[in-house]
Amino acid sequence: MIFKHLTACLGIGARGVIGALMVGAALLPGVAQAADPVTLTFRFNDPEQKEMRAALDAFEKANPGIKVNLERMAWKDARDQFLREAAVGETPDVVHIAFVWAKEMGEAGALAPLDALIKAKPPGKGLSDFIAMDLATGKNGKVYALPWTTDTWAMVYRTDLLDQAGVKTLPTTWDDLRQASRDVHAKTGKTGFGFPAGSASSGSLWFLANYNWWSNGKALIVEKDKTFSVGVDKADVVGTMNYFKSYLDNGDTPKSMLGVSDWADPVIIRGLADGTIAIGIMPPASFREAINAYTAANPGKAAPFKSGPVPKGTTVGTSHLGGRMLGISATSKHPEEAWKLVQFLNDPSIFTGAYKSQFPAQRSLLQSVDFGPELKGFAEQLTHARTWGPYAEGPYAMGSMWNLTGRAFGAALSGQTSVDAAAGDLLTQIGKLNAGR
Amino acid sequence: MRGDRLFITVMLGPALIILALFYLWPMVENLRVSFTDLTLLRLRVGGQWIGLANYEEFITSPETGRLMMNTFIWLTAISVAVRLLLGLAIALIVNTPLVRHLRLATLARIAILVPWATPPVVAIIIWRWLLEAPNGALNSVLLALGLIDTPIAFLADLRTVWPSVIAIVVWNTVPLIALSLLASLQAVPADLYEAAELDGATRSAKFWHITLPFLKPTIVVLGLTSVFWTFNNFVYVWLATGAGPGTFTNVLATEIYIRSFVDFRLGYGAAIGIVMALIMAVFGYFYFRMIGRRQIEEVL
Repeated sequence: MIFKHLTACLGIGARGVIGALMVGAALLPGVAQAADPVTLTFRFNDPEQKEMRAALDAFEKANPGIKVNLERMAWKDARDQFLREAAVGETPDVVHIAFVWAKEMGEAGALAPLDALIKAKPPGKGLSDFIAMDLATGKNGKVYALPWTTDTWAMVYRTDLLDQAGVKTLPTTWDDLRQASRDVHAKTGKTGFGFPAGSASSGSLWFLANYNWWSNGKALIVEKDKTFSVGVDKADVVGTMNYFKSYLDNGDTPKSMLGVSDWADPVIIRGLADGTIAIGIMPPASFREAINAYTAANPGKAAPFKSGPVPKGTTVGTSHLGGRMLGISATSKHPEEAWKLVQFLNDPSIFTGAYKSQFPAQRSLLQSVDFGPELKGFAEQLTHARTWGPYAEGPYAMGSMWNLTGRAFGAALSGQTSVDAAAGDLLTQIGKLNAGR
Repeated sequence: MRGDRLFITVMLGPALIILALFYLWPMVENLRVSFTDLTLLRLRVGGQWIGLANYEEFITSPETGRLMMNTFIWLTAISVAVRLLLGLAIALIVNTPLVRHLRLATLARIAILVPWATPPVVAIIIWRWLLEAPNGALNSVLLALGLIDTPIAFLADLRTVWPSVIAIVVWNTVPLIALSLLASLQAVPADLYEAAELDGATRSAKFWHITLPFLKPTIVVLGLTSVFWTFNNFVYVWLATGAGPGTFTNVLATEIYIRSFVDFRLGYGAAIGIVMALIMAVFGYFYFRMIGRRQIEEVL
């Protein structure tokens, strides 16, 4: 009745009203799209949240139609959280991932292939300028992420403690390192090599064990003619376990380090800063934390630190080429805007402003980085670092290998089981990983 | 009669739907997943049916014995027993005439409540700080008193790691036991004690023949709920030790996490979850039938 009255007043028929409403409804989304900015979510897992927010504000200013929400996830949870979200289509648009996750996440359908976006608008100086592209590319040849930053681990030293211990030159072999650690402890009473000996699933022993195997020309996973297999035998594993166990048994690394798994644990950073630990191994961001902690506690004093390559680091590729990539979620509704953000984040200004703790993964930018005297060892080591290669390409799951290695070393180092039993168990379990996939 | 049935069905319907959606469906889905090789990387595709393979692997795994031992003995039996004994001791102390006479009962109740009000994650962080080596508070005190020469890594040393975990669990959960038992203690009729005194009963006789029988129904219910809650608990072990050193403190709940979210084997993790649920169901059945039926009925 009211409808009839209204149409009569307006002098149009009911069909006209319905038609006008339909046209309006069809136009509305377009109007809304033009008025509302696209909102992207960027999950960035490193500590520089404030600086990154400032960079994103600049991005929003330069791209008035795009808003970016910044969110953070702890690195240890980031991988499985993203995969869980991807299964139900509730993911951030742009995601910050580790080098070795890109392939598996892409092949699982969680990351969108970037090939079309790259073709339409190539990043930086082109794909060939980015390192570790092999880790970003799936078995199907599609690119699933763009390498963003890179780093590697190096040895770090308190030069004052080395001087007191009479250690004149930085160790270049594992035996040198062992001796330097012993000397520091014997002559200063401080911790020699303060390595994280804990057995958590994502602990540091994984890196130390692999560095040791690599320096001896071995690798946990090797590839020959596209066939992957375990490349170390029981004697290799026993040798490496015994090597690290000797630090704890002799006391130059305290047993309390069995409770420390993270390379950036406050026990290590604080120990280096306050001079209770003489030698460490870590990525550059953690080393910077130690230097900053020292400088804050000793204003005006020169930081007594030096970095150097890992044992045999410059003769054999004995450290891993680590780093982060940026991926676009397969369920992102705005892949083009997300790609625009990824490109922005690869701008040289980001690495000198918002994100200084990491080195850019673009060769052209990497050459121009001023590492400074403290990071000299990292710069030297970076040129000799190796990607995980067969570890990431083969049928063995990285996370499981990491966990099993940490557990086995933890069991051996803590005395839960004998070194021999722990080594045998590790190889059996790794073998099963292959059989089970 | 028919109208009554319809009325009952309509009234119970919403509750039954909620129960089915939030309890039954996840359980059935978990059971289904446990018969598959579903992984986190294949969540979108789904897993293949592999029958009882996950169960077979778990039962024949050499690690299962240690997992059971850690879960049953260390995490559950010892920590629940310590909790009940300590809770009873605290309740008895707070209920003494001396505490009441000094007007300390309210203060004691508040002090008891503090650990309970502390979320487990916060409690674990506090305890990690206390137990940390070399600079943790406990190590500093022990070193200062000359009781130890070198710091002890309480959460990494095989001799101290389980007692440390149990200390954290007990500290955070004993208030519930203590307060429940305190409430039950205050319900014991005073004339029973007076009559016993007239008959010349000793303090210990009064405890064994009056206090404890009165508390028994509460202890039985608290014991049952504590066992269920502790057996399934993940957070204390994971955050305190990460199941280490090695696999020394790995329990069933942390094994589910490692298998599901480190190894990505959701099917295998689901199978362990089903085994845990079955163990608790069997435990609950026998506990109820053999020990606690009458006491639980009295409390309820």
